[in-house]
Amino acid sequence: MTESDLAPRDPDIEWIAREAKRPVALSTGLRARIMDAVRATPLPARPRRGLGWLVSPRPLALSPLGTSLLAAGLVGIGVLVGLAVTHDGESPAAPVPTVASATTHQDAPSVLVHEFVLQAPNAAHVSLVGDFNGWNAAATPMTRTDDGKWIVKVPLPAGRHVYAFEVDGAGGTKFMPDPDGLRAPDDGFGPSSVVLVGQGSST
Amino acid sequence: MSGHGIRRGIATLVTLAVIAPTLSAQGNDPLAKLDSASRRVVQALIDSAKTEGLPDQPLVSKAQEGVSKHAAGPLIARVVRTVFLSLREARAVLGERANRDELTAGAAALQAGIPATAIIDLRQAGHGKSITVPLVVMADLVSRGVPRDTASRAILQLWMQGAGEADLMGLSQSVGQDILSGAAPADALLSRARKVPIRLPPAKVPE
Repeated sequence: MTESDLAPRDPDIEWIAREAKRPVALSTGLRARIMDAVRATPLPARPRRGLGWLVSPRPLALSPLGTSLLAAGLVGIGVLVGLAVTHDGESPAAPVPTVASATTHQDAPSVLVHEFVLQAPNAAHVSLVGDFNGWNAAATPMTRTDDGKWIVKVPLPAGRHVYAFEVDGAGGTKFMPDPDGLRAPDDGFGPSSVVLVGQGSST
Repeated sequence: MSGHGIRRGIATLVTLAVIAPTLSAQGNDPLAKLDSASRRVVQALIDSAKTEGLPDQPLVSKAQEGVSKHAAGPLIARVVRTVFLSLREARAVLGERANRDELTAGAAALQAGIPATAIIDLRQAGHGKSITVPLVVMADLVSRGVPRDTASRAILQLWMQGAGEADLMGLSQSVGQDILSGAAPADALLSRARKVPIRLPPAKVPE
């Protein structure tokens, strides 16, 4: 005995069950028309492969966090590319370290550490500027010693370099040549000095 | 996030990624602080130097020096042009085989007023040695007030007598100290030059 045998019989349900079980008589013409319609329907497109798969549009869902990470990545790549390539496509020169080295030594066959010294006890701040740091006063600040000297040691490629000191004092900021250095001709920007790294100098 | 918002966001990112290298490159542009007219002149001189095989870094550095010292754009362009012409003349005087240091030192010496003939004599007396140091010392002495003919003759003679680079560097320093002490520049040089040891055998010392 099954559960259905125990259930009360509803006349409507009985009618629906009978109708559902009644075989449907289809005419042979109807079957042929249906099959013709099926044959006339184009096959669904196969999934695209290769280039078609790459270029076919599709929905892209990104969370706000994902969007932010993507933004940071793209901008970071752009900045790195910009730092690696200068305006004329050449790699920029290696930055000159501004931290003074403890000893004078030879970094590489063509790079020597040179110590620059300026006696300026009344100066508030002194920077070394020259062709090795793009004449950028912020690049190579000098350190004051207890006896009023300002010093910095800079690794420089062997050869001729032009430089000066930018001195901040009571009279404002001024550029001055190295009193103990070789002079370069004043070509209109004021006097500057020359150092010959690795050639007859005290480097 | 709506599809429209995503598209707008991606467009913004792509734009940022494209312009970031440009903005960064402008930060590295040594001529960025020049006015447009002066910048064009300086850039043309740099391009000419490259084309002629001259070192262009001295021109870039000179422009940077001018910017750092707050010189006016037209003055910067004029000074860079002077350096370019000096480099070109130095190459003509020193020859195609002159290295970068010789060219820049020769250009500075010419700017200081050292005659081209003195530089040619220096080169010929060098027997293949680099003449960067004597050129730098010549320019240094003239910059300290020594008459250019006196400076060029004295250094040429010492060079021909076999004076070394250290001798010339020491001479320059001594002359500078004497001038600071009140000596006349020409007298200081001639006095100090007599004390530089002659290193060639007597038979080779020029009359």
